[in-house]
Amino acid sequence: MRTIIDALLEGDSAASLAAAKQLQQTGISAEQIVNEGLEVAMQQLDDKCTVEGFNLLEIMLVGRAVSAVVNELYPEGGLPDKGRATFVIATLEGDIHDLGKKIVKIVLLGKGYRVIDCGKDCPIETVVSTAQRENASAVLVSGLITSIIPQVRKVRPALLARGLSQVKIVAGGAALKQASTTELNVDFVAETAFDGVRYLEQIAQGVSQ
Amino acid sequence: MNSIERIKAASAFAPTDRMPVVPAVLGHAAVLAGVPLRDYLCDGDLLARCQLQALQHYGYDAVFAFMDLYVEAEAVGSVLQYYEHQYPEITDYVIAADGALDGLITPDPHNSGRMPELLRAASVLRKEVGEQTLVIGAVTGPMTLATQLIGMEDGIYLAADDPDRFEQILDFATEIAIHYGIAQLEAGVHLPMIFDPAASSVIVPPRFFAEFLQPRIKRILTAFHQAGALLHWLMITGTIDPILKYCAELGLDILHVDYDVTPARILQDLPRTCVAGNFRPLSFVTSTPEKITAEVHALAKLFATRGGLLLSAGCEIPPEAKAENIAALVAAARSHHG
Repeated sequence: MRTIIDALLEGDSAASLAAAKQLQQTGISAEQIVNEGLEVAMQQLDDKCTVEGFNLLEIMLVGRAVSAVVNELYPEGGLPDKGRATFVIATLEGDIHDLGKKIVKIVLLGKGYRVIDCGKDCPIETVVSTAQRENASAVLVSGLITSIIPQVRKVRPALLARGLSQVKIVAGGAALKQASTTELNVDFVAETAFDGVRYLEQIAQGVSQ
Repeated sequence: MNSIERIKAASAFAPTDRMPVVPAVLGHAAVLAGVPLRDYLCDGDLLARCQLQALQHYGYDAVFAFMDLYVEAEAVGSVLQYYEHQYPEITDYVIAADGALDGLITPDPHNSGRMPELLRAASVLRKEVGEQTLVIGAVTGPMTLATQLIGMEDGIYLAADDPDRFEQILDFATEIAIHYGIAQLEAGVHLPMIFDPAASSVIVPPRFFAEFLQPRIKRILTAFHQAGALLHWLMITGTIDPILKYCAELGLDILHVDYDVTPARILQDLPRTCVAGNFRPLSFVTSTPEKITAEVHALAKLFATRGGLLLSAGCEIPPEAKAENIAALVAAARSHHG
């Protein structure tokens, strides 16, 4: 299992794929490869990604390698639902930058969570109706431009209007991370993707701050 | 001292009559003048007029002959979507995922996309402010332009899978920056700033910056120096702590730093490099004049012995910023000796 973990952390898709195939040939189940390989690699990446050590290039290469392995292990579709928490993620209407959103999605999927991606330039109504339909634990919004802040502030009232007071709101991205939770009317402002994921893991474990 | 003398003195750690202040008022100049941002970004005369109005309104030390980060990418062939009150976005990248340049040529700044309009703005601004106020142009740095030509995701994957080909794109981007910057100098800017947000440590690791980007930025700076640039100015937004040592090696006159870079880090890692910054851009939207003033005083105190500071936001002042917050920054700067 060490081989696949190292290959994933190197962001080497070909080596990760080869290691996954070799493990399967020796009779190791897809579920075990996910639990003891992919999730361990994601945790180690999490530990490595302090604010100074976080960079998109390395994260994206790891993400691509993880996706390649998941596609090999589950050719019919994504990772099986483990009953873990569901999160809804979006870039709100007025902002089409979605790279940060993709990174968070990769990390959450790698950790076994269910993620519903509402895409970019997404109306708030779509976000909250999806959160209701999918019984989401949290809504994640990312923003690169400061002019999106008034939109972010509207997410909470939209959730409350549907009786979804228990749904947490997490904001991140270059513009939003400059603001406070009060300014954005959200529960948590993430400095990095992993910062946000740590908060979401606390929610999933029922010990939210 | 006039503004140019003040900025030059600060960049050389020499005494100044007051603290220089260069908030990057870009699209905010259009908002202040009540014109659609889209028009401001496409019409050189209008851009210059709005910049001059903003200069007169606030009284800071520099005007910006700068549209947005996409001028070069558009001139090469990437397709933009424009919005009335927002910056444009790229909808189609001119280079495919395999990274093949396929006969792309360095655009002629006098005849490509919006470049001629920007040159017109530079010319008008220089004619109006002469040698009193700094006219700052800007080129998109090699990493940012490369990712605008191919896309951020494909660019990053190409850099990992086929670094030689990615370097060809970086070299192409470097040539464009040199040509465009020299044309800006000829049109009248005192210096073209190199703006390369994708070179941030949030995007690429430090060794990538050292190997692929630092030498190319150096090449651009050298070309600008030979073409008569008054100062060497580099702006990389976001976290750059891990690459400060490489920036210090570039022989810059001014490094523009974002709010992520703390004063303590600047004092420690950049003892002989003048910095512009490092106010949180969003502060100009959400803060108050009193808080901005207090922040200026605190920053001035930290740099009182060292000098080498131009007051500015870490990145662009957001277009929707409150005018009273920018005015407070300028007023507070005027109350401090450099």
